[in-house]
Amino acid sequence: MTRHASSSAALALAASTIVAFAQLSIKPALAQQAAAPADAPLDVHELFATTCGWCHSDGGRAAGKGPQLMDTARSDDFIRNRIKNGKEGAMPAFGQVFNDSQIDSIIAYIRGLKPDQG
Amino acid sequence: MLRLPSSLARSAALAIGATLAASQAFAQPVDTARIQAGDANDWLTYHGSYRSYHYSPLEQINTNNVSNLNVAWIHIPGRSTRGLQSTPVVADGVLYYTGSYSRTFALNGATGEVIWSYIPELDEALISRQTHSPYNRGVAIGDGKVYVGTMDGRLIALDMKTGKPAWDTKLVDSAKLTVGFTGAPLYAKGTVIIGAQGGEWPGRGPIFGVDAATGAKKWEFDTVAGTDEAMKTWGNDSWRTGGGGGWMPGTYDADTNTIWWGTANPAPLYDWSGADFKTQGARPGDNLYTSSVIGLDADTGKLKFYHQELPHDTWDFDSAVGEFLMLDRDGQKLVVHPNKSGYIFVYDRNAGLKNVWRITQNSNFVKDIDPKTGELIGRRDFAAGKQSEPLCPHISGGVSWNSGAYNPKTGLYYKLGQEWCMTLTVSKTTPITAPQVQLNIGADFKIAPPPSGEIYGHLDARDPVTGAKKWEVRFPEPPLASVLSTGGDLVFVPDSRGTLHAYNAETGAELWNHADGTGHQGGIVSYAVNGKQYIAVTAGFGGMASDDYAPTFGGVYKSMPRDDGALIVYSLK
Ligand code: HEC
Repeated sequence: MTRHASSSAALALAASTIVAFAQLSIKPALAQQAAAPADAPLDVHELFATTCGWCHSDGGRAAGKGPQLMDTARSDDFIRNRIKNGKEGAMPAFGQVFNDSQIDSIIAYIRGLKPDQG
Repeated sequence: MLRLPSSLARSAALAIGATLAASQAFAQPVDTARIQAGDANDWLTYHGSYRSYHYSPLEQINTNNVSNLNVAWIHIPGRSTRGLQSTPVVADGVLYYTGSYSRTFALNGATGEVIWSYIPELDEALISRQTHSPYNRGVAIGDGKVYVGTMDGRLIALDMKTGKPAWDTKLVDSAKLTVGFTGAPLYAKGTVIIGAQGGEWPGRGPIFGVDAATGAKKWEFDTVAGTDEAMKTWGNDSWRTGGGGGWMPGTYDADTNTIWWGTANPAPLYDWSGADFKTQGARPGDNLYTSSVIGLDADTGKLKFYHQELPHDTWDFDSAVGEFLMLDRDGQKLVVHPNKSGYIFVYDRNAGLKNVWRITQNSNFVKDIDPKTGELIGRRDFAAGKQSEPLCPHISGGVSWNSGAYNPKTGLYYKLGQEWCMTLTVSKTTPITAPQVQLNIGADFKIAPPPSGEIYGHLDARDPVTGAKKWEVRFPEPPLASVLSTGGDLVFVPDSRGTLHAYNAETGAELWNHADGTGHQGGIVSYAVNGKQYIAVTAGFGGMASDDYAPTFGGVYKSMPRDDGALIVYSLK
């Protein structure tokens, strides 16, 4: 895993110390990195452990805060729309995070879910 | 520094708000001296006072007449997405509180009449990407203004009399970091302190001090690697995505001009390091100052002292609970702080450890915590993969982020504990920070019953320093709201099913209850207007903990809304 400090972020931080009304408090915490750079194949299993799993238990196999995703009767369009736009107070919107082909791999993962062997 | 009301402003306010309680015309401005002095009629900070007792000395409503308690008035804030989680504050007969989306209200405490309201315009597209949102947990008051944080990273000051914005300061780049403010600010000596969300959201979890008069940022303290010493406790540059934060208001020790604050957990929530967490895994090292109690100079934000309750927290049992009971006992000045794990830490006023005791029965993330040194004994550090034994308590905590109550008359601390666990499969993850920061959990998990049997919650009446238990009341589902104790020898518990209970503070006998129509997950306070005592409680369920209730418990939770809420105010007939 590579992590680069962004020099522009560091500059912004230095600037913010002299801006009284603190309009720019950009943190250097934001190294330029992402789990999946655009076009790279998405590891959806890891994505569930990273972001989705708090609400979609057991990798999407069990109901929790969100519904069970395994064996869902929802159409691809519905799932795509829900992931992109979320639902107020229930599920976050991911339309700015994943491109269409990444969402396709999430749908493929959900369609392929089987009960845990363990 | 501007101090309102001047006599001119006072008469203007009277002309506008002629229906206001008469006492308000003679009101002193709310400042640190007045908050410290305290007045039984008011509730001046999120935690009631700087002592943070969640206690009202009022005794008009008491064990003899509580059965005559009735609803005096109700206020519906609207748009209560993920419930109503706030705790009101009250000064001079006016109640100030917030709903979701930082909708802010000033209400006549006797009648519920709306004096003013302020509905901020927020970045709703950003809010739609958040998880711990859009609820707001309350305001601070001082220097003639009401202070409220927003989910899009701003702190706003409103004129206490009119609700007109005085200043609006952007503190967090929320569009990038995805988190903002949900917790109430704290007012102390001309500074407004507020902590950002963070935890499982990779960032550096800043706490801010802002000039109450102008809105200018005075200082910022990063709970992740905020000092050179702390930077060394994050291997592989993991501080860049460390999490942390301080999303609940702490308190102020005027003797030493110190802000006490509790900090959130590091990201990812769960680490695959195994036992070698000092050198292996997602964030090698102790990860200072996450899951810690810190003392900051109120004027400069400089760190004065800290105690890390959970070094290298890998269970999401953070220290973000903002409850710091300031006790005077046998000539000693003590501070009692509950950790989310259910262990309660007792400190001196420099965070020197005095004792540790536990409120939960089911707990196995450590075997014990040494009450003298604070060392975690027999800690469970996970390697990647399915964990054979469930983890206790559940991620929602051995205690909630809401507060208990300390009653100086009985000397007892009334605190809720939760008995629940979870199955856990730990996974290696990579933080997502572009284009915007995303949750970093590090596991799949599912709620599970504890080894002792069914899930339940309990209200304990205990000595806050030793933990010695006097009595306990059990609830079939863990209550998540704050507790109130009063000079009328009462303890009020708003439960998850939606019933408000009153107990005898000495014995735990239930004396009264009333249905509020939906689950509770916020605060409860008491105040008086024109000699009449009121109890105000927020009802409205929703959010990361309560969203588990319908699938886990069924019953009334299946139809319980998670986008609704009301402020309900009781008094004697
Ligand atoms: C904060 C909790 C939360 C998170 C995080 C979350 N979801 Fe959801 N999700 C929900 C809820 C709640 C629903 C049900 C919404 C509704 O009422 O229709 C849902 C619905 C869905 C649905 C539609 C299922 C159906 O049958 O209606 C899909 C697909 C989905 N989520 C995928 C994901 C993916 C993929 C992620 C991670 C990238 C994710 N979710 C993250 C809470 C969450």
